[in-house]
Amino acid sequence: MEPLDQEVEESELELPSDPMQLMMGPSHPAMHGTVRIAVELSGEVVVKADVQIGYLHRGFEKSCERGNWTQVFPYVDRCNYSSPMLNNVGYALAVEKLCGLTVPDRCQYYRVILGELARMADHLVCNAAMAMELGAFTPFLWWTRAREMIYDLFEEETGARVTHSFGRIGGMAHPPTDNFKQHTLAILDKVVASSDEGISLLETNRIFMDRTMGVSAISQADAIALGWTGPCLRSTGVPYDIRKAHPYLVYDRFEFDVPVGHEGDNYDRLMVRAEEVHQSARIIRQALEQMPDEGPINVDDPRIVLPPKGEVYDTIEATIRHFKIIMEGLKVPAGEAYGYTEAANGELGFYVVSDGSGTPYRVRIRPPSFALVGGLSKLITGQMIADIIPTFGSMNMIGGECDH
Amino acid sequence: MPTFKIDGKDVPFEKGDTILRAALRAGIDIPYYCWHPGLSIAANCRMCLVEILPPPGRPPMLLDVLELDREKSAYVNVKKPKLQPACQVPAGENMEVLSDTSEHVLRARHSVQEFLLLNHPVDCPICDQAGECKLQDYWLEHMKTKKRMRDEPVHKPKAVSFGPTIVYDAERCIICTRCVRFCKEVVKDPVLTVRERGNVNEIAVSPGRELDHAYTFMTEHVCPVGALTTKDFRFKARVWFLRSAKSICQGCATGCNAYLDYDPRYQRAYRYRPRDNEKVNQHWMCDEGMLSYKLAHDDRITLARIGGKQAKLAKAVSKAAELLKDGPTDQTAILLSAQHSNEDNFALVSLAKALGIKAMFLTGKADGEGDDILRHVDKNPNTAGVKLVAAKAVGSFDDLVKGIEAGTVKHVVALGSAVPVEDADSTLKQLTTLVVVGSSSSSLSRNADVFLPACTWAEAHGVYVNAKGMGQQSLRAIAPADDAQPGWKLVADLAEALGQKFAWSKLKELRAVMPAVKEPEPEKPEDEPAENADASAES
Amino acid sequence: MAQKLLDILIERFGDSVVLETHNHCGDETAVIDAAHWREVATFLRDDPRCKMNMLADLCGVDRFDAEPRFEVVAHLNSLHFAHRLRIKARIGDEDGEGALLDSLVPVWAGANWFERETYDMFGIKFEAHPDLRRILLYEEFEGYPLRKDYPAAKTQPLVPYREGPDVLDKLPPFGADEGMVFGRKHLDYVKEED
Repeated sequence: MEPLDQEVEESELELPSDPMQLMMGPSHPAMHGTVRIAVELSGEVVVKADVQIGYLHRGFEKSCERGNWTQVFPYVDRCNYSSPMLNNVGYALAVEKLCGLTVPDRCQYYRVILGELARMADHLVCNAAMAMELGAFTPFLWWTRAREMIYDLFEEETGARVTHSFGRIGGMAHPPTDNFKQHTLAILDKVVASSDEGISLLETNRIFMDRTMGVSAISQADAIALGWTGPCLRSTGVPYDIRKAHPYLVYDRFEFDVPVGHEGDNYDRLMVRAEEVHQSARIIRQALEQMPDEGPINVDDPRIVLPPKGEVYDTIEATIRHFKIIMEGLKVPAGEAYGYTEAANGELGFYVVSDGSGTPYRVRIRPPSFALVGGLSKLITGQMIADIIPTFGSMNMIGGECDH
Repeated sequence: MPTFKIDGKDVPFEKGDTILRAALRAGIDIPYYCWHPGLSIAANCRMCLVEILPPPGRPPMLLDVLELDREKSAYVNVKKPKLQPACQVPAGENMEVLSDTSEHVLRARHSVQEFLLLNHPVDCPICDQAGECKLQDYWLEHMKTKKRMRDEPVHKPKAVSFGPTIVYDAERCIICTRCVRFCKEVVKDPVLTVRERGNVNEIAVSPGRELDHAYTFMTEHVCPVGALTTKDFRFKARVWFLRSAKSICQGCATGCNAYLDYDPRYQRAYRYRPRDNEKVNQHWMCDEGMLSYKLAHDDRITLARIGGKQAKLAKAVSKAAELLKDGPTDQTAILLSAQHSNEDNFALVSLAKALGIKAMFLTGKADGEGDDILRHVDKNPNTAGVKLVAAKAVGSFDDLVKGIEAGTVKHVVALGSAVPVEDADSTLKQLTTLVVVGSSSSSLSRNADVFLPACTWAEAHGVYVNAKGMGQQSLRAIAPADDAQPGWKLVADLAEALGQKFAWSKLKELRAVMPAVKEPEPEKPEDEPAENADASAES
Repeated sequence: MAQKLLDILIERFGDSVVLETHNHCGDETAVIDAAHWREVATFLRDDPRCKMNMLADLCGVDRFDAEPRFEVVAHLNSLHFAHRLRIKARIGDEDGEGALLDSLVPVWAGANWFERETYDMFGIKFEAHPDLRRILLYEEFEGYPLRKDYPAAKTQPLVPYREGPDVLDKLPPFGADEGMVFGRKHLDYVKEED
């Protein structure tokens, strides 16, 4: 650059005119779950963006083909690690669809409650991260504390905070603990209150509104064409929720609303998620009331469900049953099925193909965030570089799920 | 063809067929333990019971039984149709058999299974049969309920050594007597028998004897549960890790069909199982043959050698070409191997033809014991194949020895590892050049100037012609170890290095030019052999 | 519920295009002739009785022993009528060659990344795709991992640093014969004689 105390002719000034190429990520605090966004900038404005995912690709689909149907549950946990129970339930439902099984009522309520708790945790953490990246650190701490309460409940029930691998084909790994209902009720109010308190700091905050309102808006038609589902689609105004449109488990027995936004911008996406936390709490309260306190959790089929361990040590019949299910894998009839549920990010689909044996032939996960991030480049093109952060944060891309 | 009905479905049968035989041929599964296609009918397990409707005009055979009526909480008299064992009753025209559609049959199967498991030890974790055990399979299909007995099961001797090869576990035994019948009927050596009665039944060896005939491995093969196990395979591998390749036994010229079970993770062969073939070995194999799977791994040389030192394969091939280029062709001979496949031998014969080498000799294992059940005296799998492929007279190993001693043969290209004499070292040392394409260590490999590592039968597809003149294909099981390649490929590379590149380079092309095996005249038509493609030994 | 979709398809296109249909587990499925893939997809999106405005998923399945080898499976969703359909096309020969299918990007924009992923995992090429390159794996990856003949434990060759004007001709910090033995054959007993 020329020194400032010298007179320079206009034509001699060297101002760069090529767009600047910037690699954001994959090792970047705001690139959740490792994503690289290769942007071309003209000043601060993004001219072109190439979103490169795959840094967390671990070969989920190939690994599923190497074990049993039940051994897929730990893999599935690690897909959407913010709400692993929803993944467990989604996969279990897909395989049960192929087997033609319906789990007992008590199990269905149990799955609903744990799933909705996982959804709340996911939404809280997504909003927390988005707020924190805009500089609002306080809601992040509050909401992470609220998530801790949900994790404590999961730890009581399943033994693990995050990757609990609790789902099984034909039911769940263990029945609910004795004070499951009390514990859930105890934390529910606190979690919702914490969520509300944090939102109250953001929703009419001048800075937050300027940073997120009108930024990265998308139209309904575009969102649908891109395959968006979940809170991001609902933020554009489309009231599509699989729990209402294609009810599964016992969702048709509950009264709950589907929050929608107007503009499809960052602000709406965050607010839709915040409102969904309320709705999830509503579903959980109804489910806790309706859930039977006694009854089997697992389907009563000796070819699908493992026998009690005490019997396995004592009787040959239980040993054989245990042996057949573990060693050969439970035999899922040949065919294909697409099981889809409303996960925290949208439609989580599992397309399972079976050849009749105990090993899956093909397990395809349809990650909701894969479709969402597919539209990211369209959203940020034309926005400023600082807008990439809240946009990406509002989409809730979970690396494990998107890259599977 | 006459037909009868099973569950409303028409099933054709041949005269003399039992219901079970006809059903199995039609693909209908009726469970059984004690029946075996190669043994006499015992009908002692009662698992194959089916309901046969009475012929028109005849009353049904009914039994008076007591059944617990839960509503009345008392036992009441009912009549139950007498079920018949499908393995024993001959099929008759227009017979109506009910199998899966009869409640009585389902209850009977459930009950038989329950009784068989009553005193069965909880051995699945340590039992070798796990994964190919009929008790396990039929529990899942036909029983599915828990144990009702609360008492201590009956205890019997476990891990009894019956002989040099077999171990018996009386608690697991269901006294189907397949082993007893096998020894008596097939081997004609009734060394096993059943002793005691009731639930203290067990199999016993004749006093003063051991289970030591030449087919003891077959008693393990016919045993549907883990009562009889071989000392060779015990605790070595779990069958669900094993895959099966359709192989041909390399033990003798009978060419028994076999499944070579290998673990694809370690690329290791673990055992043989007989494969049914009515024309060759029916359902059996001899002990020597069953143990011959070890040749896939024992004493292997898998890297090329030049003069005893390891070398890179390409280097060894060029060195071999160098050595052979100089030798005059009238002092060069090829040594074919009756242990190697048609393809390997044909490649060597083609090389001889291309180079103008006229002298051909044959090596292999020396003759051994034979009998009139399965074992052949000629312990080489492919003697007839070599003769077919050579198309000219082939001298014996003795002729070669004479030639070497006389000095008329100075350079030899040899295939194989087996020689029929005890000590060939001194003879082979007299050769100027010895190029060996072989797989294991032997006097040929010890004295070789260049050693090229060939695949064994387990690592390459090959056609072997047995003593009856039948050409049988053996499929490969494991991948070649280290630098080993199929023998025909090594010979082709050698030919190319000598400037005589063959017209063929792939197996398909080689087989197109190889002399085809003319199948011997078929005897009267027999049953189709049942193919069993996975590693579970059901029969 | 979606049986009428299958009826509409058969009525409109006939048996030569709609090769098979089934309804296993309640999922209506139609196997479409590969040459008419985009035509059928466009029809399903635009026809007022179908209105399948969302492509939920597009993936591949390697049938391995069957001919044609690959199946491209698309799950379609209609937000208007709440009915769903699965359509499939079968392409490719036993070696995996000739797996070429029309891209659905002009029909639904979301097909872009799904087709890239199918290409990445199976090697199925999509004609007229705006940007067909690997998405989950890196550029220099050799092979297509979800094919049945790709062994799961296969190791990839080491990749040199990419070339560029400022990048020196560097290799990774260790040579091909250094580093972890795991997964690589160690033939240190064959001496190099030269």
